[in-house]
Amino acid sequence: MLELKGYGWMLWEGVQLTVIVSVASMAGAIIVGLLAAFAKLSSSRAQSLLVDTYTTVVRGIPELVLLLLVYYGIPTLVQDAAAALGYRVTVTINPFLAGIATITFIYGAFACEVFRGAYLNVPAGQREAGAALGLSRIAVLWLVVLPQMFRYAIPGLGNVWMVLVKATALISIIQLPELMRNADVAARATRMPFTFFFAASLIYLAITLASMWAQGRAEGWASRGVVGGRL
Amino acid sequence: MRLVVSLILGAVMLAAPAAAQQVPDPLRIATEGAYAPFNYLDDQGQVQGFEIDLAHAMCAEIGVTCEFVVQDWDGIIPGLLAQKYDAIIASLYITDERKERIAFSDKYYQVPARFVVPKSSTLQIPEGLNDAVVGTQRATSFERFMRDTFPEIDLRVYATMEEAYLDLASGRIDALMADVVAASEGFLKRPEGQGFEFRGPEYTGAEWFGYGAGVGVRKEEKHIADAFSEAIKKIRENGTYQQISEKWFGFDVYGE
Repeated sequence: MLELKGYGWMLWEGVQLTVIVSVASMAGAIIVGLLAAFAKLSSSRAQSLLVDTYTTVVRGIPELVLLLLVYYGIPTLVQDAAAALGYRVTVTINPFLAGIATITFIYGAFACEVFRGAYLNVPAGQREAGAALGLSRIAVLWLVVLPQMFRYAIPGLGNVWMVLVKATALISIIQLPELMRNADVAARATRMPFTFFFAASLIYLAITLASMWAQGRAEGWASRGVVGGRL
Repeated sequence: MRLVVSLILGAVMLAAPAAAQQVPDPLRIATEGAYAPFNYLDDQGQVQGFEIDLAHAMCAEIGVTCEFVVQDWDGIIPGLLAQKYDAIIASLYITDERKERIAFSDKYYQVPARFVVPKSSTLQIPEGLNDAVVGTQRATSFERFMRDTFPEIDLRVYATMEEAYLDLASGRIDALMADVVAASEGFLKRPEGQGFEFRGPEYTGAEWFGYGAGVGVRKEEKHIADAFSEAIKKIRENGTYQQISEKWFGFDVYGE
């Protein structure tokens, strides 16, 4: 067993923060991704252009830059603008929410592409059959398309999730002590870098293994009713 | 879980236009918390270290209360500019590049560079150096200092200081040039460094080693930095500084 010199609780708090921020961001990314995917697939040119711009810009900018822009850039901009007008304004952004919002915003773009691909994989005949049964467009989407989309989307979403979990290591830059930051703090205080980074990597590995198990379960669930349906 | 989840996303506070030149009380100070023994978090998660003790002493002189914010290094200057806190005390070295963005107090420490030799060695420093083999770390201010100051010397350069320590311990080099805190924490205080000591003068030339660490503040609040400069002068005079330095390092890290 690794000797953690009394810093074990710090790693544990880091894990909690990492998991909470990851889960919240992933939930947000799924919602943003779904909405963006439908907008991108819609017949409205304006909507699909808007979403195209969003996914292109976000996938092209490093996460670190976006985080810094949201948490430090926006307040600095507002404060400087106010100072130019002779006012002293303090803008505070909650780091926890800023972190979740930024990661949601970034990974929503990746999830959008996953959902778009999944949608295109659902045979058009399924939608036509739904319409033939007299279902409204919303009902077709909700009852026919979405359940089948998930079957195609889950492997891709699993991939987004794995990358997202590791991206949360960046939020330490906005004063959120997640797992990597706390491992670093403990490593430097005790001068035992190997021990703490090894412990942290074991924890990330455990998260990954648990995620893979959950993904397998989710794939089974999404493929229910499909003969030989596991993709 | 020590996480405080406040649901206030953006709280905008409007105050009267530019208050008088006062030091805010409490004063929010950012530190890195990962640079032992200067600043680090103990196993209770509390900030500790030489700079923390020093900051409390300086705040007491100024007459305000210090509050510490632990901030990852990469965001430490952006956070200051975004007014997340009012000052940085985190071994932030005063450089010309940084001076373009923030203001600094006078330096509050500057780790000098010194030679480390075996206790049994009769080597005179700096007189005898020309006949000695000296090691230091490659591409550092120490290498530049050595090449400029002792151009004749047989200098061996290493990728890391740890390698230089190993060669000093095994007798392949006669002396080592390093910063006093790094050599003390990384070598002299460890079992393998027991038979070694510092010898010769302390070197602090700004040309090679910069201006030392200062308190960083926003440019438009230079008066806070000035208050710290004044406080540094006072605790140097009344001996508080020396006590704190002695406690953490066993010597005075102020430099000359």
